[in-house]
Amino acid sequence: MSARSSHSRVFLASGLVLGLATIAVSIEWRPLNTHTGYAPEQPVAYSHRLHAGELEIDCLYCHFGARTSPRAGIPPTSVCMNCHATVSSDFGSLLAERALAADEDREPRRIVSAEIRKVYAAMGLDDELQPTDSGPHPIPWVQVHDLPDFVAFDHSVHVSRGLACASCHGPVQSMERVWQESDLSMGWCVNCHRERAADPRITLTREHGKLQPGEHVTTDCVACHY
Amino acid sequence: MTNPGNTKWFRSPETRGDTGCAPEFPVAPVPQPGMDRRSFLRLTGFSFAAAGAAACSRAVPSLALPQVTADEHVVPGRDYWIASTSWADGSGSGVLVRCLDGRPLKLEGNPDHPLNQGGLTASCQASLLSLYDDRRFDGPQRAGAPGTWDDVDGALRAELERIRSDGGRVRVLTPTLTGPSTLARIATLLDSVPDGRHVMYDALSCSALLDAQRSAHGVRVLPRYDLARADVLAVFDADPLGTWISPAEYSAGYRASRQPDASPPRMSRHWQFEARLSLTGSRADQRVLVAPWETRPALTRLARAVAERSGTPVPGPAQAATDVRPELHDALDSLATELWAHRGAGLVLCGRNDHHAQVLVCWINELLGNVGNTVLLDTPSQQRRGDDRALAALRDELLAGDVDLLITSGNPAYELPGLAQALGQAGTLACTSAQPDETSALADLVFPESHELERWDDSEPHAGLFATTQPTLPPLRDGRTLRASFARWAGDARDDRTLLRDAWERDLAPRRQAADEPFGVWFDRVLERGWVSLPGAPSTAARACDAAAVATALAAPRETGPQPAGADGLGLVLYPKVGLLDGRGAHNPWLQELPDPISKVTWDNHADLSPATADRLGLRTGDVVRVTIAAPSDSAQAAVPAPIELPVLVQPGQDDRVVAIALGYGRMGTDRFTDVGPQWFEGRPTVAPGATVGSNAAPFLTLDDGVLGTDRRVVRLTPTGEQRLLATTQDHHSLAVPEHLAPKGGEVRDAVHLTTLDAATVASHAGGHDSHAELWSDDFDHGLPHWGLAVDLTACTGCSACVVSCQAENNVPVVGRDEVQRHREMSWIRIDRYYADRDDGGVDVVHQPMMCQHCGHAPCETVCPVLATMHSSEGLNTQVYNRCVGTRYCANNCPYKTRRFNWFEYSREDRLQNMALNPDVTIRSRGVMEKCSMCVQRIQAGKAEARRRGVALADGDVQTACQQSCPTRAIVFGDLHDPESAVSKLAAKSRAYSVLGELNVQPSVRYLADVRNPATEGA
Repeated sequence: MSARSSHSRVFLASGLVLGLATIAVSIEWRPLNTHTGYAPEQPVAYSHRLHAGELEIDCLYCHFGARTSPRAGIPPTSVCMNCHATVSSDFGSLLAERALAADEDREPRRIVSAEIRKVYAAMGLDDELQPTDSGPHPIPWVQVHDLPDFVAFDHSVHVSRGLACASCHGPVQSMERVWQESDLSMGWCVNCHRERAADPRITLTREHGKLQPGEHVTTDCVACHY
Repeated sequence: MTNPGNTKWFRSPETRGDTGCAPEFPVAPVPQPGMDRRSFLRLTGFSFAAAGAAACSRAVPSLALPQVTADEHVVPGRDYWIASTSWADGSGSGVLVRCLDGRPLKLEGNPDHPLNQGGLTASCQASLLSLYDDRRFDGPQRAGAPGTWDDVDGALRAELERIRSDGGRVRVLTPTLTGPSTLARIATLLDSVPDGRHVMYDALSCSALLDAQRSAHGVRVLPRYDLARADVLAVFDADPLGTWISPAEYSAGYRASRQPDASPPRMSRHWQFEARLSLTGSRADQRVLVAPWETRPALTRLARAVAERSGTPVPGPAQAATDVRPELHDALDSLATELWAHRGAGLVLCGRNDHHAQVLVCWINELLGNVGNTVLLDTPSQQRRGDDRALAALRDELLAGDVDLLITSGNPAYELPGLAQALGQAGTLACTSAQPDETSALADLVFPESHELERWDDSEPHAGLFATTQPTLPPLRDGRTLRASFARWAGDARDDRTLLRDAWERDLAPRRQAADEPFGVWFDRVLERGWVSLPGAPSTAARACDAAAVATALAAPRETGPQPAGADGLGLVLYPKVGLLDGRGAHNPWLQELPDPISKVTWDNHADLSPATADRLGLRTGDVVRVTIAAPSDSAQAAVPAPIELPVLVQPGQDDRVVAIALGYGRMGTDRFTDVGPQWFEGRPTVAPGATVGSNAAPFLTLDDGVLGTDRRVVRLTPTGEQRLLATTQDHHSLAVPEHLAPKGGEVRDAVHLTTLDAATVASHAGGHDSHAELWSDDFDHGLPHWGLAVDLTACTGCSACVVSCQAENNVPVVGRDEVQRHREMSWIRIDRYYADRDDGGVDVVHQPMMCQHCGHAPCETVCPVLATMHSSEGLNTQVYNRCVGTRYCANNCPYKTRRFNWFEYSREDRLQNMALNPDVTIRSRGVMEKCSMCVQRIQAGKAEARRRGVALADGDVQTACQQSCPTRAIVFGDLHDPESAVSKLAAKSRAYSVLGELNVQPSVRYLADVRNPATEGA
C-alpha cells in the first residue's frame, strides 16, 4: 500500500466525518426557526410601545391593508403626517419649550425631534413643513416578518374572522422595537388551524345546497400553497 | 360524422394509422458521465459542507418600502380594475384591466361591453406583455438617433411651415382609426396645409367589402353581422371566429346560434367554402373546398340560384354550366335552398378582397331579406375603414416623388407589398412606431406611440358606440399618442387627457340624452364603464342594391388560377394566424409560443400543403422549399417578390391546388428571441442571431386593381433538400395508447365525442358511459364544495384565448423553440385538435381544451413519494411546489398528460417583463412539477372576499382565467356539489362525458359532446 493511497484514505475518512458532522449539526442543532426574536434596527426609531401601547392607536389605523387586503402593509409616510404635521416632538419637550417661551415672553419655537425630522425628510419637507429640494422618498423600513414566496397568507381573512393581531405578532404594544414573536413556521400555522377546525362551535354549514358564510378552518395544502 | 367509439381520430397526418405517440425521450441509450466512487464522495462531502456553511447566515435583510403618499382608494396588495379598450386584434374589444400595486397584470373581457361580451382574443390578452417590452423607444428618434421632443416637433413643424408657404403634399397613412378626438386633430392639421390627405389602410384588408357596399348600397361602410340571428351561415374565404374583423364578437354570436340543449334545439347550419383549413372552417357543418379563383364563380352561381328561388330576374347573360365544379354546384344549390327556406335568418359572409364577389354577397343577402336582420347597415361597424384604392394611389404618388411629408402609423413598410420602397421616396418620413421596426428604419423622425395600457384614447368600433382607453400605469417609456402629436404640431401643448376631455365635451357631450348631468360627472361615468352608446350617429341611409352594380358583378370575367392544375403551379393563399395576425404580435413571446389552433406549430410559419399535393410533389413535413412566383404578374409596378424558403407542413383538409402561408413572420428584430428559454449545453437557439422568426410572406401580397390581394399569386415550390424540424405540439401529450401496450382494437381512445344534432336528439345518451365502480362507500361528508369544470365542445372553437389567459394568470413561462421540440412546453391548458377522415375525403376537426382533470381517484396522487400532490377537501388535485422533489412519477402516471415539469429555471432575466408576473401565483423553480390548479388563487380570493362581506359565495363569483376569456363561454367553473350551479346542470346533460371515463379516475372536468348539424342525405 503506497503512502499516497493511505494519505487519501485518511483524507477521505476525515472528509466523511466532517460531512456527517455537518449533517448532524444542520439537522439536530438547527433552531426551529432562526427568525424568531429577529428585531432589526429600523431607519426611524419608531416605537410601537408608545403608539400602540401608551397612545392606544388601533393597529388597523396604520396597517389599514389588513382589513381588506392580503397584505397588512407598512403605512405610507403620509399616514404618519396625519398626526405628526402638528406633533413634531415628544410632549415633554413641547411643554418645556412652551413654559420657557412663556417665561421669556416670546412665541414658542418649533421643536422637531431627530426621529420625526427623518419622517419630514422622507416627505420631502423641512422642519417648517416647507418642500425641500431633495423631494420625497420612501423610508427604507427593514422587513421583520417575511414569509417564503411559496406561501400565500391573507391578512384580511384572518382579521375579518376576528383574530387578534397579537395572536401572531405578540405583544406589539410593549415592543420598543418590533421583533418577530412567532416562528411563522408551517407547523405553527397548522396547529392553530387544527385547533380551530376541531372546535365544534366553528363549522361551515350548507343550507339549501348553498354554502353559508362561516368559518371553515381548512388544513388543505392549497389554503396557503398555490 | 360518426358515432362515438367508432371514429379513428388522429392528430397529425404522420401518425395516421399508428398510435401517434412520438417519443418524448431519446431511444438511444444516454451516455453516462464518467463518475467514479471517489469523485462522487468528494462531491457529496463538499456539497454537505457548502450547504451547512450557507445555512449559517440569515438572508440579506429585505426592505419594505412604503408609498410616501397614499393613493386614495388604492390598498397595497389589493387589486383594482380599470375599464379600457383593446385594439390589439383590430376589433376594439372592451377590457377590464386587473391592476395591483400600480401596474396592470391581466386583461379580461368586459362582460358588459356590447361588442365582445366578456370574451377576449389571444392577441388582446397578450398585449399586456407588449407593454413590458424593453425594446420600445424611450423618447423620439431623429435620423436613427435619440432626439428630444422639442427637436423632432420643431423639425416637423418647420417642414409643415415650408409646405404651407411653398406648397406641397402632406399625406397621413394610418391603420384604421376610429377615435373622434384623434381624427378631428388629424383633419385640422391637414386642413391647414394646401394639399393634405389622410389614407387609412388595413393590413388584413376588407377594402373590397367596403367598396362593394358603396357600389351596391351607396354607403362605404362595414355592416355589422349578427351571427346570433343566423340560422344558416355561409362563409366564403373568411375566418370570422379566428382572425376576421371582430372574432370575439362573432364568436359570441355564433355560440348563441348553436344551442343543442335548448328545447327545441337551436342549431344553425354553418357552411364553409374555403381553400385552406381555417379555424372557422374547422367548426363547419358542411365544408366545401373552393380555390380562391373559384370564389367568384361560386358566388355567381349562388346568387343565380337564390334569384331563381325568389323569382328575381337575373341581369346579364346566363352563366356557363361549366363555371363551377359539379360537386360545388350541388352544394351551392343545397345552400341556396336552405338560405331561401330561412330567408331573413340567414347570413352570407365573404372575406375575400374581391369587389365583384362582395357585390354579389350584398345582393344575395338582400334577396334573402337578411339586410336589417343579420346584416345591419344602420349602425355599421367601423372596425375596418381601410381604402386600398387610396393606398395604391398613395403608393404611386410616393414612387413618383410627389409627397413632401408622409406621417405614418402602424408598420406599412413591413405589412404592405412594395411600400418599403415607396416610403423611401417621401420627402420627409415621420412615423409613430413604438419600437424599432421596418418603418422606423426608413423614417427621418420617429414619434413613438405609447402603449394602449398607458395612454388616454377613444374609439368608435361601431357607429354610435364610443369606447374609452385609460392609462393603467404611469408611462414606462416616453411615448405619445397620435392625438397629442398632431395637437403639438398644431401648436396645442395641452396634456393628453385634457385634449381628450375637451374633444368629448365639444363633440360628444351634446349628443347624450340626459344633458342636465354635468359633463365632468358624465365623462367620469363613461370612463368607469369603458363605453357609451350615443344616439345621433349620421344615418347611413343605405339604399336597395344597385342593379347595375350587380349586373357588372355577375358578368365579371373569371379570374385565372393555376389551371388546369399545372404540374407545379399552386395558388398561394396568405393568411393571418391567431395571435400574430399581420405581424403586430411578432415581438410577443406568448403569441410566438402559442400553438396555432389548426397546425399546432409554434415559432414558425410554413408552407401548408394538402396530403395529396405533398405526395405528388414528394414532400414531407419539414422539407424546406423555396417559394417563387410561377407566373410573374403582368402589372408593371408590381415588383417580383424575392423567393422565400419555408418548411412544408402537410395539412389535412386543404385544397389540393393551393399552398397556404402565414403572414406576420419574418419581422425585423425577432432575433431577440435567440436566447429565449433555457441556455444549456444541448440547447439550440430559437432563432439564429441576425435571422428572424419565420419568413416574411407579405411581399407576396398584391396591391393591384385597388385591392390588397392575399390569394392572387401563383407560386412554384422547389425543394432545397434541407430539412427543418418544426416546433409543433400536435403529437405532444397524446392520450393514445402506445401500440405495443394496447389491447387489440384498443389503441384509439375516445377522447372526443362528435355527434350530429339528429343523433343527439334521438339518442338518450350522446355522451359516453362512464364506469362508476367504487371500492369505498360514498359516506364522505360533502359539506364543502367540489370544484369542477364543464367544457362544451360544441361551443369551443379552438381560438386559444384560454391558453394565453392561463399563461398570463398563472405565470406560465415561455420555453423557446428548442424546448417545445423536446415536448417541454409549459402551458397548463392545451387545446388538443383531433382529425377524423370523412367518407367524402374531407376531415372532421374537433378542438378539445385539456387541462388537469382534478381526478377524484387521481393516479398522480398515489405515486408521489413525498405527498407533494394531494387532494384538497374541495375536490381539487393540488400540487405543492415546496414539497415536490421532482421524481416525475406523477406525470408518468397521469392518463391525461397535463402535468408539466420545470426542467430548468426558466428565464426570468427580463426584469421589465417580470412586472407582468402575477404575485398571487408562486414562481416555480427548477425540478418542480406543475399543472393546472383550477385557478385556486381565484377560488381563495373569491372565498376571502365573500367572508369579508359576510355573504355566501354565489355560483359564478369565481371564474377561472380560461373561463373568463372564452368568447363562446365554452368553459364553466363551479361547485359540482351544488345541484343548482351552472356546472352541475351542464354535467348532468346527456351530452356530458368524462374523457377516458373507462379508467374510472372520476375527473372533475366534464366534457359535452361536440354536436354538429350537417345536412342529412336527401334533404
